[in-house]
Amino acid sequence: MASPNEPQGQPPAQPPAQGGGRGQGPAPAQPQAQGGGRGQAPPPPPADPKYHWAAPHSSIGTHVKRLDGPDKVTGRAKYTFDINRPGMLYGKIVRSPHPRARIVSVDLTPAQKAPGVKATLLWRDPADTARSIVMYQGDEIAAVAADTEEHATDAARLVKVEYEVLPAVIQVDQALAGNAPAVFAASGPAADNTPGTPRSNVRQGQTQETGDIAAGFKQAAQTLEETYSTHVITHVCLESHGAVCEWDGDNLTAWVSTQGVNATKDGFATGLKIPASNVRVITQYMGGGFGSKLGAQDPQSMICARLAKQANAPVKLMLDRKEEHLATGNRPSAAARIKVGVTADGMITAFDAESWGTGGAGAAAGFPLPYIYQIPNRRRTHKDVFINTGLQRPMRAPGHPQGSFITEVMMEELADRVKMDPVEFRIKNLPPEAPNAMWGSYLRQGAKEFGWDKRHPTGDPAPGPIKTGMGVAINTWGGGGSQGRAHVEISSDGTVVVRCGTQDLGTGTRTLVAVVAADTFGIPVSNIKPEIGDTVYPVSGGSGGSTTAAGISPAIRIATVNALDALKEKIAPALGVEPASLVAANGRIQVKDNPSKGMSWAEACKQIGPQPLAADGAWQPGLSSVTTSGVQFAEVKVDIETGIVKVTRILALQDCGLVVSRLTAESQVYGGVVGSLNFALFEDRILDRNTGQMVNPNMEWYLLAGMSDIPKIDVRLIDQSERGVIGIGEPPTVPTAAAVALAVRNAIGVTVRSLPLTPAKILQTLAQRRA
Amino acid sequence: MASKDDKPGGFAFSRRDFLKSAGVVSAVTATTSPAEAEAQAGGVNAVGPGDVPVRLTVNGKRVDLMIEPRTTLLDALRNRADLTGNKRGCDRGACGACTMIVDGRAVYACSTLAIDVQGKQIRNVDGLATSTGLHPVQQAFCDKDALMCGFCTPGFVMASVALLEKHPSPTPDQIRKGLDGNICRCGTFSRIFEAVSSVKGVTRG
Repeated sequence: MASPNEPQGQPPAQPPAQGGGRGQGPAPAQPQAQGGGRGQAPPPPPADPKYHWAAPHSSIGTHVKRLDGPDKVTGRAKYTFDINRPGMLYGKIVRSPHPRARIVSVDLTPAQKAPGVKATLLWRDPADTARSIVMYQGDEIAAVAADTEEHATDAARLVKVEYEVLPAVIQVDQALAGNAPAVFAASGPAADNTPGTPRSNVRQGQTQETGDIAAGFKQAAQTLEETYSTHVITHVCLESHGAVCEWDGDNLTAWVSTQGVNATKDGFATGLKIPASNVRVITQYMGGGFGSKLGAQDPQSMICARLAKQANAPVKLMLDRKEEHLATGNRPSAAARIKVGVTADGMITAFDAESWGTGGAGAAAGFPLPYIYQIPNRRRTHKDVFINTGLQRPMRAPGHPQGSFITEVMMEELADRVKMDPVEFRIKNLPPEAPNAMWGSYLRQGAKEFGWDKRHPTGDPAPGPIKTGMGVAINTWGGGGSQGRAHVEISSDGTVVVRCGTQDLGTGTRTLVAVVAADTFGIPVSNIKPEIGDTVYPVSGGSGGSTTAAGISPAIRIATVNALDALKEKIAPALGVEPASLVAANGRIQVKDNPSKGMSWAEACKQIGPQPLAADGAWQPGLSSVTTSGVQFAEVKVDIETGIVKVTRILALQDCGLVVSRLTAESQVYGGVVGSLNFALFEDRILDRNTGQMVNPNMEWYLLAGMSDIPKIDVRLIDQSERGVIGIGEPPTVPTAAAVALAVRNAIGVTVRSLPLTPAKILQTLAQRRA
Repeated sequence: MASKDDKPGGFAFSRRDFLKSAGVVSAVTATTSPAEAEAQAGGVNAVGPGDVPVRLTVNGKRVDLMIEPRTTLLDALRNRADLTGNKRGCDRGACGACTMIVDGRAVYACSTLAIDVQGKQIRNVDGLATSTGLHPVQQAFCDKDALMCGFCTPGFVMASVALLEKHPSPTPDQIRKGLDGNICRCGTFSRIFEAVSSVKGVTRG
């Protein structure tokens, strides 16, 4: 059970202050979920100018095909789920079917006697009062390992668990109203005795206040009072969480589906009480994480390692889809009751909000509010509500999609109140334009390309049941990153190996590593062999918060420039020139002003000799930056007889500083848009209000977009090369949901103030208007 | 972990369980069932409980396994034959990562019993590329960056191959319908669509 003050696996970088330092909600404390952050070292000095990104680029910013594409399309790529070791056993976890219960007894004997069983373990000991209470459906209790997956499943079913079922809080509304059993209260049984365990079903946050609210409302010509909300969704990484653990004496090799190999290595060391030097963690390929795989000490990893130790054999323990939905994180809900005032000419003068959300059984649910827009007088009070469900984990741009939806729907309603075009109204209330705050320019550029001038006022006047509408929303994200180290080796045959202890979640990190190196050396990307996803390589950070590209690119740049300098030293005497006069370009190392004087890359590398030429680099400031801005436009068609929404077009304008690997960066935007479209229309963790059971812990009733649901998506990456590398994983998944919701509003003429926009909800909202 | 009719230990009776037990029952008692007939045609004389010999033809090669009759085609290949190209995403026929081609038809291998596909031609992604290079569909996926994490990719590739072998020049609607049984959580559908649209030269299967 995590302390609410220390939510598990937060992203490594807190999104930094946004344009004008605004729009921050009561974000939870964010410990560094990284392996690179041991101890508090002073920040490194700025990078020497010789390391700066130097145009013209040969591979940076170009469309380089994903390096591991061929391995992935052929099935050769081995994910954690695919690791098969000689003599390997299969692990299975026994989980609570109840949202809250005391474990009275656990009998492992029937499982131990079952065919093929080699190890069993008790994760939650009934005798340990601090750990004997399960707090959500899916909470871990015990585990087994057997020779086949079928035997492991059978044996897990034979574990006899006796429960004393306890009252549970399922509904946020009941918890808020004080009508729920005092599950998290001091008088009742606490989740456990960890310091910071919630002592109430509702944790009242501090009030944040700026300016003079009363004066602000006095200036307002109109006020609006509404409540907006978003729902809980789960990450649904296609590769589930899990590990394969193999011991050799006291040394552990673990293949783990993780966003942070180094943090996971430390997690095994701490959790198993063994030296970190005894642990090696490998993640060559992983099937998505979206923030849910930042946990350093995930129970299934610890259980897998302990089963393997006990059985003295390798164990594979991969969760199934139901376990994924229940126990490996979710995006917390968000809601806000807002009173907001606006002048007749469209300046927002005052904002007063009470907000809340649930991150499950003891985790925070913070989100930024108001999101981005500038309001001089504002107040906000936030509450975290605890219910008996699995704990939230960071999910792609934690808090931002929620804050975006709530703020943008409010903005649209205000724009209508003062009869202003939504784009103009937004521009009027933005923070001043700056390189990291370009929304005004992007709104104008996007409106032109999208055909915003063809947008009708709220409510499509066209006859017939199919209504069309347009919407727009904006986004920001911090990105940045500082946890990168790299080692480069050039061999005499001209090949280059780049080792970096990062990992590729599917974002294209492996490709990015090669692109940066190839660019320094002026050679084809195919000459570079990136080696990542292993704790034997130089320690780099976890991949969360869009920090990977900006964390490792500078390290690789510095290492490769160092290697190139050494190579220049080696060949300069033969050319009879100063090393400093040489540059690497077009597959040659040559005199800058006299390209004919030089040698080919292959010739130059022949001078290296049998020992590869090696160099190192670590992240320094000056090559990367933080904070992006972006804008998205959406067009939808809504059938007002069925309530079905069809998104027809999305235009995404997004900056991310220096675009390193253009093809994969564009793919990140496509993916972000689709993720947010899912949030808007389809995904929903549905709980049975009485039993607390998730009713759709699968992929047929937990809806996700398929090919037929995908609109035409146009991606416009906006280059800001001078800002250095920033990162793009998160920002594009922020605004689509709000833009889609506002397009629906524009189409049907009524406002749906909560997500998801299900057909039932749209029909209900339309019916309310008629009534 | 599941509904009220849980057994001790908390596991519900799922669609998969039904599928698996139904497979066992048909194999054990319904002596005239197609599964049994195929099993016998494959040289199997007794079926379950416990391991039974199952003979599969995968990517044109014979694969002899000793597995329980409830083992799915996907698990048989992944866990027993180290053919791990196709993935397990949902394990109940919803995500499509397990998509293989059996006798020319795309099937969810997670919802197909291995014992039921004896004597049939099974193709999974591991056997798609040849010594001369990638299949045109695989090449198109690489060229258009029609993949991110890649976990759904083997299923999408096989579904695309099945589609193109049926409709070598598919309409946009045929592509959408043909690939609607697969889910990409990273959200690269636009580029998958672009990749499949660009493929030329797949011959009708």
